[in-house]
Amino acid sequence: MSNKFSRRDFLKLTGVGAATTAVLTGCGPASRYTKREPYMQMPEYTYNGHSTYYATTCRECAAGCGLIVRTSQGRAIKTEGNANNPLNLGKTCARGQATLHGLYNPDRVTDPMKGGSAMTWDEATQVVADALKNNKPGEIAFLMGLAPDHLFDFVSDLASATGINAPVRFNALDMFDAQATLSKAAENLFGQSGMPLFDVAGAQFVLSFGANFLETWLSPVSYTRGFAGLREAKTKMRGKFIQFEARMSATAAKADEWMPAKPGTEALVALAIGKLAAEIKGGSMPRAFSDVEPKDAAEKSGIKLETLEHIAEMFAHSGGALAIPGGAALGQSNGLAVAEAVLALNALADNFGKAGGVYFSAVAPTQSAAMGQRGASAQQMQEFIQNMKDGKYKVLFIHGANPVFELPAAMGFKEAMKGVEQVISFSTFPDETAAEATYVFPDHHGLESWGYQRVFTGAAQSVLSGLQPVVSPFYNTRATVDVLLAAGQIAGGKFAMSFMDEVEFLRGKIAPLMSESDGLFSAPDLNTFMAYFQQHGGWWKTTDGRTAPATADVLSKSLKATEAEFAGEGEFFFVPFVSPTLAEAGANKPWLQELPDPTTTVMWNSWVAINPETAHELGVDNNDVVKVISEFGEVEVSVYKYPAIRPDTIAIPYGQGHTAYGRYAANRGVNPADLLGANFNEAGDLAFAGVKVKVEKTGKKSVISRLESMMGVYGVGMGEEH
Amino acid sequence: MIRPDEIKMSAEESGKWGMVIDQDLCTGCQACVAACSMENNVPFVGDAFSPSNGEVDINYGRSLHWIRIERFWEGEYPEVKMTPHQPMMCQQCGEAPCEPVCPAFATVHSEAEQLNLMVYNRCIGTRYCGNNCPYQVRSFNWRDYERPEPLPNQLNPDVTVRRRGVMEKCTFCIQRIHKAQDAAKAEGREVADGEFTTACAQACPANAIVFGRIDNPESLVSQLAHQGHGVKHLEELGTQPHVTYFKGG
Amino acid sequence: MSDNKHKAEHSHEEHLREKHLMLDPLPRGRMNEMVMESMMEPPTWKFWAIIVVLAGIVAYGLVYTWAKVIAEGLYLAGINRPSYWGVFIVNTVFWIGISHAGTFISAILRVFKAEFRRPFTRAAELMTTFGLIQAGMSIFMHIGRVWLGLYWLMPYPNQRMMWPNLHSPLAWDVLAITTYVLGSTMYLFLPLIPDLAMARDRTTGWRKILYKTLALGFRGTEGEWAHLRNAMNIFAFAIIPVMFSVHTIVSWDFAAATRPGWSSTIFGPYFVVGALHSGMGAVIIVLAIIRSTMKHMKYFIRPEHFDAIGKLMLIISMAWAYFFFNDYIVQWYGGDKWTQILLHYHEAGPYGWMWFAMLIVNVAVPWAVLWNQKWRSNPLIVSIVGFLINIGMWFERFIIVPVTLTINRAPFTWQQYEPGAEMPMGIGTMAFFILLYMLSSKLIPLIPVWEVEEGQMAHEFKKFGRETVVSVSELE
Repeated sequence: MSNKFSRRDFLKLTGVGAATTAVLTGCGPASRYTKREPYMQMPEYTYNGHSTYYATTCRECAAGCGLIVRTSQGRAIKTEGNANNPLNLGKTCARGQATLHGLYNPDRVTDPMKGGSAMTWDEATQVVADALKNNKPGEIAFLMGLAPDHLFDFVSDLASATGINAPVRFNALDMFDAQATLSKAAENLFGQSGMPLFDVAGAQFVLSFGANFLETWLSPVSYTRGFAGLREAKTKMRGKFIQFEARMSATAAKADEWMPAKPGTEALVALAIGKLAAEIKGGSMPRAFSDVEPKDAAEKSGIKLETLEHIAEMFAHSGGALAIPGGAALGQSNGLAVAEAVLALNALADNFGKAGGVYFSAVAPTQSAAMGQRGASAQQMQEFIQNMKDGKYKVLFIHGANPVFELPAAMGFKEAMKGVEQVISFSTFPDETAAEATYVFPDHHGLESWGYQRVFTGAAQSVLSGLQPVVSPFYNTRATVDVLLAAGQIAGGKFAMSFMDEVEFLRGKIAPLMSESDGLFSAPDLNTFMAYFQQHGGWWKTTDGRTAPATADVLSKSLKATEAEFAGEGEFFFVPFVSPTLAEAGANKPWLQELPDPTTTVMWNSWVAINPETAHELGVDNNDVVKVISEFGEVEVSVYKYPAIRPDTIAIPYGQGHTAYGRYAANRGVNPADLLGANFNEAGDLAFAGVKVKVEKTGKKSVISRLESMMGVYGVGMGEEH
Repeated sequence: MIRPDEIKMSAEESGKWGMVIDQDLCTGCQACVAACSMENNVPFVGDAFSPSNGEVDINYGRSLHWIRIERFWEGEYPEVKMTPHQPMMCQQCGEAPCEPVCPAFATVHSEAEQLNLMVYNRCIGTRYCGNNCPYQVRSFNWRDYERPEPLPNQLNPDVTVRRRGVMEKCTFCIQRIHKAQDAAKAEGREVADGEFTTACAQACPANAIVFGRIDNPESLVSQLAHQGHGVKHLEELGTQPHVTYFKGG
Repeated sequence: MSDNKHKAEHSHEEHLREKHLMLDPLPRGRMNEMVMESMMEPPTWKFWAIIVVLAGIVAYGLVYTWAKVIAEGLYLAGINRPSYWGVFIVNTVFWIGISHAGTFISAILRVFKAEFRRPFTRAAELMTTFGLIQAGMSIFMHIGRVWLGLYWLMPYPNQRMMWPNLHSPLAWDVLAITTYVLGSTMYLFLPLIPDLAMARDRTTGWRKILYKTLALGFRGTEGEWAHLRNAMNIFAFAIIPVMFSVHTIVSWDFAAATRPGWSSTIFGPYFVVGALHSGMGAVIIVLAIIRSTMKHMKYFIRPEHFDAIGKLMLIISMAWAYFFFNDYIVQWYGGDKWTQILLHYHEAGPYGWMWFAMLIVNVAVPWAVLWNQKWRSNPLIVSIVGFLINIGMWFERFIIVPVTLTINRAPFTWQQYEPGAEMPMGIGTMAFFILLYMLSSKLIPLIPVWEVEEGQMAHEFKKFGRETVVSVSELE
């Protein structure tokens, strides 16, 4: 032991003293109920009774909202949105609020682990170093979360320097948003790649085909603000909003009209509206809409022709019409056609690059074209899995992703892990993938971390959200960049990067921004710039960075009026949808579990939404357990008689059904991804909404907890059941 | 004899802090519920099974949410509509039915802030206030709720952690009110409109919740509240609620 | 002929004597003996077996379950939002109702000089005191932090001027019930003094010490009697308004609230009549049990007494039906949306069977049975009716408390109530009540000998010509 007696050691000792005193004085009954240990983990520069606020970035999803975290005595107490961050302007979603339940989650990985036993970081670093050194670069792969962050940049740099495989990013939200299909459609129509940005706030009349933009789609906080702008009648009329989808989602619940179009007919509906609107507008019929017969579309989709005509009329006459494709509508075999058809409606509305129209998102700072803004599509993941199975990868590093849970079991990631000699997970939590990994070398929680994250869509400006630790690491965790740096030093050769630590790497990446002219702030030297960067929670431009798509010949493209094909013989269309409160990684946070689902008010569980009429025909009631069978798998789940779903469709929320991931998540509910197979659309996205399923009674009953009163809302038990 | 001018009209009620909720904007996203729970140390109940009567607490009206988002259905498929989401929290009534019925003065009216206070120390848990609240926004600590270590690190030191046997409810984030007032007083000024807000309003991504001084005609909340199409729930009971709803649509 | 007539005359007298305790006097010494014997009779094994079973129920229901609820929280009970009050409050109201019969019989009938009350004023008054003990306990079972209940509810002068909230009906409750407990205990004790003195003179050992202490040196002098009568008179008159106010105030717990179904102006008298309804039923059961199990009691408690109480029950049943109908029709006629839903829920909801059962046993059964003097005089039949009425009155309170609370103005929160730990605890109070009663039957002379004798002395057969009539003199 060194003879230096640091301030930290001193505090530890005082902590022991304080704890002893607490034992002596705190035996009364009251001491059992609140437990706050003074001094134990108090970092420097905090004063008792005063809160300190730090700006950082939310890591709950890939959107990259800015946070201000209130800390007190070295503990993170509350997260709020960073009011300066142009993406979320001071707002947060429920998941952002509950991020503290991740930080202080009782089930975090506390130490580097092999199997069930802890090891030291020196040993862990040696393992990583050996893995880098002893394998050919081509046998080393990185799988990462969707967020385009500094770690991704670091690994990308490492990859280009050493020849290891370029990092692959994946997240289930990307899959359920059908982001690949959206950007591919934009590329096809506009000849330009990028993530379309829909200015909902500026619009007057919004048609959304399956885009659940008030829930988890792309950047929910930003889009919710857009929705508020659409509704608020400050400077304009209250905007109208119509949603097409088979199940009324939380987004559709806010629409003026919910159109339960038959799944698979979205392309027909979009093109029919386009055709009818074009007729109203007059002039020659654009080629894009010529392939569809509105009457036929009405028949197939189950939406009355008059209704379509009415919508088309509003669309044609509205001053700011906007059509948004997304979600389940794109996650079908013809998803690309749907996306193109809906985007073409915008061409008819002539809203490209205009307020209330379609833009391309601003390119984030430090974004280089080579990196690609998007994560891997499900099809690319299938290739990745194939490589694993084929033994092409000897070492797989996984960070920020939980593919064993997130990908459909039918795609076989879990089995493929057996084909990889060493799987090293950097997971903060004991998730399903970490459970299968050879080693778990836990990274800090997002609130304990340094970093930055590029905002890929949602803000008008080009935004780089910054991360800094708001509390000192709670457990014996280590930043993955530091681990890789240290291991690289040991491995030597090209792996030895020249950075001292993670922060130095960050500074190097951020430094070029000092010379940008239209930034939020500038500074003469890097230290000051870095200080501003931390203080503001990132760096962004002050100018609008959105670009208008090149639209010259969109309407003259030939678009196919196709219907989707469905896998399986079942009688029901199956819609797996992402739980707005839990999403893919919220299940381990107890307060997110306690939040009622916005549509069903169910807490702590999964359900299958079935139309009451259908349930009656099937002879099942609320809370009856049914078996949902697809050709890829089956799940048993309780029935929720949901009044707003097509009778030929059933839906199960995605977010529960974890087999690991801590006490609050494990063995709770079902994972609808178990029913999905490896079917992809033309853009490579999973056709998750392209499965037909059977429903069988099991005779069992399992009560799902809900906040709503079944008596008060549905009249159950009031003596007049239907 | 009561003179007509002695009869308090609800539109003219006194009061200090108020809230306006635009149901047309509320998306039911639950961010306010999460924010409230994090700010106010609201425990999570979980779905533990109660052996005594075979019910799951959370499914049996025993959740502790201080704010809940209500929604109902209108019509039947395919003409079915979800009614606008309606966040319900303590309405901070000017004439609160919960206050007079408490035998222990555990829920009292703050003269200074014109809010309904909940004095946890005095609460003996008769739950009469809960019965008498027409909005049913009070919740009771049916047990000592588990917060496994290290979750208690997140507890807000400005808010009491309640033990079993006491009622609790939304306080309009009175700890934030006090903090802002103390700060303003130290600088010798009034609290400015928008200088602080409640946890729910601060989180709300759609800005559906606006909080502020309703006795200040300049404030945003009072201007909104006097727009005319706002509704106060169960106003006919004479409770003089301080939350105004815009039904919207 | 005249012999026959004489015989008939004689048998008529005999008949009356057999029928009426007041006309069948025994020497004072004999009656004292009988009461002492019935009290001192060594308990049988059956008696002890019942005591053990009851003690077991009390230990599980009251001691263990309550301790667990205190230690772990009220989640063990079935109360929830919106039914924040449940069976605990039902039991409170129920036991206060039971306690009313005692006061009604011993005070009101005493004030109005109803002669049939004489032998069982003590038995009824004991019910009052023991019932109130259960009621008081039920309130404390119900509160979330029982260890602070008394602390915050005692109007104790303090520097911070923090008093209980006298706006709250619950604070009135505390005052009213405390007054009632103190008053009725005193009122139980005063008429007991001469009998304690009698017991003192006839016992030895620990009993002697006990009765000597409790009899306060009563010797039966004229002065002592005069003072005792004065005190009893004062208490008899004073306890009557207390009795009425207690149950009225209990009803205000509900009537003063804003809940649909509760906010009813007629709840005060409705509750008082309801209390008498269940109380009379309980008295009848107790009398029937005493009569059949204790020595010499067939002499003191005769069919005439069941007949008299049966008539009272019939009248009270009619009064209850009137108040029920009045309450229902006014609420229904009000047309308030929530009340309409509530009334519908009462009948058609999951506890609808209780609503119908309540009407059958509270109204239909007494009306069908009690009009007939023969049935009315049969201890078994009337005590069955009394038992049913008590069930019905418990149902009535169950419907008024948790079932009504289910429906409020916030339909998003409606939640059906399922009792939990309330049931063992409630059964525990019942067992505790019976246990107290059984033990006290071995300690307290259950028949006020002096009161019976006083009545017997006032009654006599007088001959006016050929006619033998019963004449009553005013003693007091």
